[in-house]
Amino acid sequence: MTRPRLGFFKFSCCAGCEFQTFYFQKHPAETLAAFEIVFAKMVLRGGAPEGPFDLALVEGTITEAWQADELKKIRKSSALLFAIGACAVNGGIPALKALAPELEVEGKVYKNLSPIHSIRPHPVDAYIQVDGYIRGCPPGERDLHEALTSVLAQKKPGFLRCAVCVECKLKGNICILTAYGMPCMGPVTNAGCDALCPTCKRPCYSCFGLMKQANAPALAKKFRSLGLSESDIRRKFTLFDADAALFSKADKLNED
Amino acid sequence: MKIDIDYIARVEGEGSVKLEIAGGKLKSLKLNIWEPPRFFEGFMAGRKFDEAPDIVARICGICPVAHMVTSIRAIEKAIGFVPSDEIVRIRRIMSLSQIMASHVVHLYVLALPDYHRLGMITGLDAEIRRLLRMKEVLNGVTAAFGGRALHPVAMVVGGFTKLPARDTVGKLISGLEGIRGDAQDTLKMIAGFDTPLLEPETEHVALSGDASSGVIISDCGLRTDEDAYGNAFEESELSYSNAKRTVVKGRGSLMVGALSRLNLNLDTLHPTARAAAREHGFAPPVKNPFMNNTAQAIEIIHCIEECITLLDALTGKEHFVRPALREGTGSAVTEAPRGLLYHHYELNRKGVVEKADIVTPTAHNVLSLEEALHKLARENLDLPRDELVLQCEMLVRAYDPCFSCSVH
Repeated sequence: MTRPRLGFFKFSCCAGCEFQTFYFQKHPAETLAAFEIVFAKMVLRGGAPEGPFDLALVEGTITEAWQADELKKIRKSSALLFAIGACAVNGGIPALKALAPELEVEGKVYKNLSPIHSIRPHPVDAYIQVDGYIRGCPPGERDLHEALTSVLAQKKPGFLRCAVCVECKLKGNICILTAYGMPCMGPVTNAGCDALCPTCKRPCYSCFGLMKQANAPALAKKFRSLGLSESDIRRKFTLFDADAALFSKADKLNED
Repeated sequence: MKIDIDYIARVEGEGSVKLEIAGGKLKSLKLNIWEPPRFFEGFMAGRKFDEAPDIVARICGICPVAHMVTSIRAIEKAIGFVPSDEIVRIRRIMSLSQIMASHVVHLYVLALPDYHRLGMITGLDAEIRRLLRMKEVLNGVTAAFGGRALHPVAMVVGGFTKLPARDTVGKLISGLEGIRGDAQDTLKMIAGFDTPLLEPETEHVALSGDASSGVIISDCGLRTDEDAYGNAFEESELSYSNAKRTVVKGRGSLMVGALSRLNLNLDTLHPTARAAAREHGFAPPVKNPFMNNTAQAIEIIHCIEECITLLDALTGKEHFVRPALREGTGSAVTEAPRGLLYHHYELNRKGVVEKADIVTPTAHNVLSLEEALHKLARENLDLPRDELVLQCEMLVRAYDPCFSCSVH
């Protein structure tokens, strides 16, 4: 049997997803040996960036125009394309730039902005259709494994679509939000981390991104009752989701 | 003739080298780091002090711990919080685990394939097994104290939100003891490769022996405190690269990282590491940047021992104190896997970051690397094109650059 051809592409990010995929997870040798690595800059010299690929994994936020063109090319040469990591899925940390006027942020870093060609940061699905989302910063091992093995088994991957709270309950943790009044983002954050932060006795900071249909306004209200200021609440909802539409809902509620 | 190495594979981030050769002479050489800027220093303004370590971790997928430890140190200085000795020790354990893990990834996955003239590590089964054995133990140390190995969560301003149980610490120690042989084998393997001769002039800079001293020294007599960093170093922007370039004020290029640390502090290393260095003929001053690989392998031997000693001494008592807020400014310099890392923050009385400044190891190294590439190319123009390209790439990889960090 021929092995599926894998391409790994990095845009604006820390490259942590590529490293997570290749040597942080527990079964890298077994899973990855089943793929033919055709392009992955961080581990392979040479390779064929033009594909074709059975699976393309794309990490990073799109922050320069050429990246959007590149992304469209990758889409055309890939049978399946998954966005991997908070940057590619939600915009992640690089999208924080979008919260303030562009030139103001850029001017704090570079005196001469003429060689800088940044555009407003967006996740990859702002430009192309995506076949799946491997969430998290860094991506959780469960979803990563599910993505790779599903491609091998030629089935649709079943990614976790519930709140961190579900995983937290399954672990038998005491709720740090209700019991200790810690401003935990767990109720609105997509699962996949095995409730890591609450298990470490610190509030979840939403590195897996806001989950679909989360009741953000209700959590914002709860945070207000704990004494958080409007700007603190705004910061909590924007850390990994500055580009998300859901955030604006929480923001609206903050105003009344 | 123009040689354009579009992207240098097997390094962290994105950069290229462009050479122009005319009439048998090197006309120009440019290291262009085209990694897109993410503007961390720009969007950090307006964020809360306790978010800062979690944000800066995302500068780098290989050395998040280094960024976290440095930002926490700077922020705690800004608010006048003094961590307990135990907390300082655990942070050092975190840093050591990161330095080792980063070196292991660099030596095996990034550098090694070149010496076998391979595109990637696949096929070198014994080496892959050794890499995975070491990586699993080292990730285990970072994860035990940080919650997870990549972008840890339990390390915060004020200490650690949770500590591992005593028997976990015991397991970490026996894990580290178990990879002592692998570390020796790694050094043997690296020291056994032929290294191209190259001795560029540059200033080697590192923290003085005590890693938490914040005192920066060099082989040209520099001695300065982390608070006076700005008086000793200068950063400038380049038209052809997104990474800024740092020099020692009034002098020029500098090199940071394992080679510089060993050149300046070899006598402070653990006896086994010193013995290993002697055995493989590593005697400072070592000017050849290709020897940075050997230096990293020696450091792994040392870090295992230092890490075991620190783990042994843990009391497991107080690990978190909620810090009180005040307005302030703080600077910190630490040794990241790739060398000197500088973080500086200005906080207002609500604990909101007003200004952030970050200078990474690769920003410190970039001019030295460009100069070394220049020298390497000048001295090897007669090589076949493919071989010259490979040598240039191997030199870039020997510096172990992190272009993502350098641009941030």
